[in-house]
Amino acid sequence: MEVQTAVNRTQSNAYLKAVLAIVWKDLAAELRSRELLAAMLVFALLVILIFNFAIELQPTLRSTITPGVLWATFSFAGTLGLNRSMAIEKDRGCLDGLLLAPVDRSAIYFGKLFSNLVFMLIVEVIVLPVYAVLYNTNLFNPGLLLVILLGSIGYVAVGTLLSSMAVQARTRDVLLPIMLFPVILPVLLAAVKASGGFLQQAPMNTIWPWLNILIVYDVVFSAIAFMVFDFVVEE
Amino acid sequence: MIPFATSIKFMIGGYSAIFLMLAVYLVTLVLRWRRMKRDMQMLENIKNDPGEANKYQ
Amino acid sequence: MSSQPKALTFLTILSAVLFLGALWMVFLFAPLEAVMNYVQKIFYFHIANAWVGMLGFLAAAVAGILYLVKKDLKWDLVELAAVEISVVFFSITIVSGSIWARPTWGTWWTWDPRLTTAAILEMIYLAYLLLRQGIEDPERRARFSAVYTLIGSLSVPLTFFSIILWQTIHPEIIGGGNSGSVGSFGMTTPMLLTMFYCLFTFSFVFVTLFWYRIRLGRLSEQVEILKLKVME
Repeated sequence: MEVQTAVNRTQSNAYLKAVLAIVWKDLAAELRSRELLAAMLVFALLVILIFNFAIELQPTLRSTITPGVLWATFSFAGTLGLNRSMAIEKDRGCLDGLLLAPVDRSAIYFGKLFSNLVFMLIVEVIVLPVYAVLYNTNLFNPGLLLVILLGSIGYVAVGTLLSSMAVQARTRDVLLPIMLFPVILPVLLAAVKASGGFLQQAPMNTIWPWLNILIVYDVVFSAIAFMVFDFVVEE
Repeated sequence: MIPFATSIKFMIGGYSAIFLMLAVYLVTLVLRWRRMKRDMQMLENIKNDPGEANKYQ
Repeated sequence: MSSQPKALTFLTILSAVLFLGALWMVFLFAPLEAVMNYVQKIFYFHIANAWVGMLGFLAAAVAGILYLVKKDLKWDLVELAAVEISVVFFSITIVSGSIWARPTWGTWWTWDPRLTTAAILEMIYLAYLLLRQGIEDPERRARFSAVYTLIGSLSVPLTFFSIILWQTIHPEIIGGGNSGSVGSFGMTTPMLLTMFYCLFTFSFVFVTLFWYRIRLGRLSEQVEILKLKVME
């Protein structure tokens, strides 16, 4: 009995160690080269610039347009990050190395999910003040930050799974956004509505349904992706 | 009440579109089937008589 | 490839006969609707096509899960056939819905939940087909397709629900002011009968086409195998 729990503990320790190892590997590599973050950030800022010319961001309209512009920006930059993150894995042969490790494949999924999430959050944390300054809007809103966290989790949960598939196809780069966007719509819709609600200080009972959708999506799709990841990295 | 002429026009348009698209799909099914059958026949011929392969080069 | 099984021939004839019956019901039996007049009749086939699209969607989802569980490539074939049929029939649904909407609500497109979700589903199917195109190995292609089908079929109901929620909070939609009224007109009994008969007919149409498409897939597979053998 005690042996069994000891074995279980070592197994879960090994699992956690594997996840952390992957996260650490990605973060350390990125700290050195900063290629991923730089690309995502520059792209995000360019998108905001384009929106400035594409949509008349008059002061009166800003509160309604802001959530949409922000989430469109995050979605596009996010795709970039997901693509690069998986491509680096495959091209450097890291993926094969990870697959040889004697640990459950889903640890790779969670590892990549966390590192992708960290990168996306870093970009968002930088974009928010830039947007706030450029358009003179106060975005320091805890509700908004919560929505950004929940939305990013959902985005990255499905994105990590799909990018693992896309990177193994011939049409690698174009394929990810095509696969991801139709499937991520509940997150996008709910995130935009909830963000707008918090920014306009709408009553909580109008925002709750959207938060619920985000939470449901995050939980369901992380679970599904976790269960199904094995099928996607089989050799 | 939608005027009779407009109503009939759009109804005919709608049903034409439905039938057209259905028909096109059925035709693609038939054509694909026939092409597969032809390929099958050709491959069978090559398998039975390897020399025949030169005919299709 | 064996010749057409008797059951399939029977099914084909049955579907054709039922189809003719549906035409009779729509054009000669069903009464005219008070406001929309003749154009309302599109509704019967529009709904029936959407129904077939739905059946295809469900069949694809089930086939995908069955493949992941059983690893038998025949389920991949079934899944592809189901997706293809669903693509075609949802396209017809969208087009007929659009043509119906134009004179009725003055706009070609309404962002109502059903039409919008159908459009999103078509995009998912497109992505599915592009994914398949990008992978050569049949086994990997089958695995990835099944995974994507799973993700897609779970996200679509959630998307549908989200759009409904979005609409109840924002009732003014671009174009047709009363787009919540898609399909909502008072239906008398003969209309209901016609609608159910059309759904019934198209269920048979679905099964028939599905069977044919699966046969086509099997034949295609056999051709591929033969091709490889001959190449040696």
